[in-house]
Amino acid sequence: MIAAFAFNLSHFQAMTLFALLISIAFGFLSRRRTSERVKYIIWSLFLFLLIGVGIGWAMYPFSR
Amino acid sequence: MPEDTAAGTKAVTAEATITPSHHQRGEAAAFAIGVAGWLVPGLGHALQKMWGRALGCFLTVGALVLLGIGMRGNLFSSEGGDAFGMLGYVADLGTGSFYFAARALETQGSDVAHAEGDYGTRFLAAAGVLNLLAALHAYEAARGRKA
Repeated sequence: MIAAFAFNLSHFQAMTLFALLISIAFGFLSRRRTSERVKYIIWSLFLFLLIGVGIGWAMYPFSR
Repeated sequence: MPEDTAAGTKAVTAEATITPSHHQRGEAAAFAIGVAGWLVPGLGHALQKMWGRALGCFLTVGALVLLGIGMRGNLFSSEGGDAFGMLGYVADLGTGSFYFAARALETQGSDVAHAEGDYGTRFLAAAGVLNLLAALHAYEAARGRKA
């Protein structure tokens, strides 16, 4: 059964998927109207990715 | 003075008709809705006819759990031992019935030696915390707070 749910994702893919799902959940919980939800989801996703990649770059000098 | 106006008088009259037993029943119903939202993600909102939010919660929490399992994340059990294991168990248990579904699906166990498995563990914990947030939101909405 587990074979049907096996995923091979890169770091970036996993982060993007995580950011997308959390953004959707936050958008649906915190906003009522569809247009507001879409705006919130896009903005939240953008910030998730920007901060995630930013932290990744900030940690890069300490990775070796 | 607001009490002098018609609206103020109406509000005072309405407040007077809400007896302590009414209030307790409302609190109990709100609590039951919160628990239902925890047990089945989105059910708390569905019971209040908030269909969009119900569907959103159900699908996002479900997707996070499925992805977490698919990535072979660690699903904590009550025999975690240390404080972090216990914290992980509480977070995972936040998904309610999905925790037991995940247990049934995770037949091969976790594999946190790889980055994917580590990500999977975060996905599962995030699903639980997200569902707890959604259940709290449903509870607050049932209590009449603006949601």
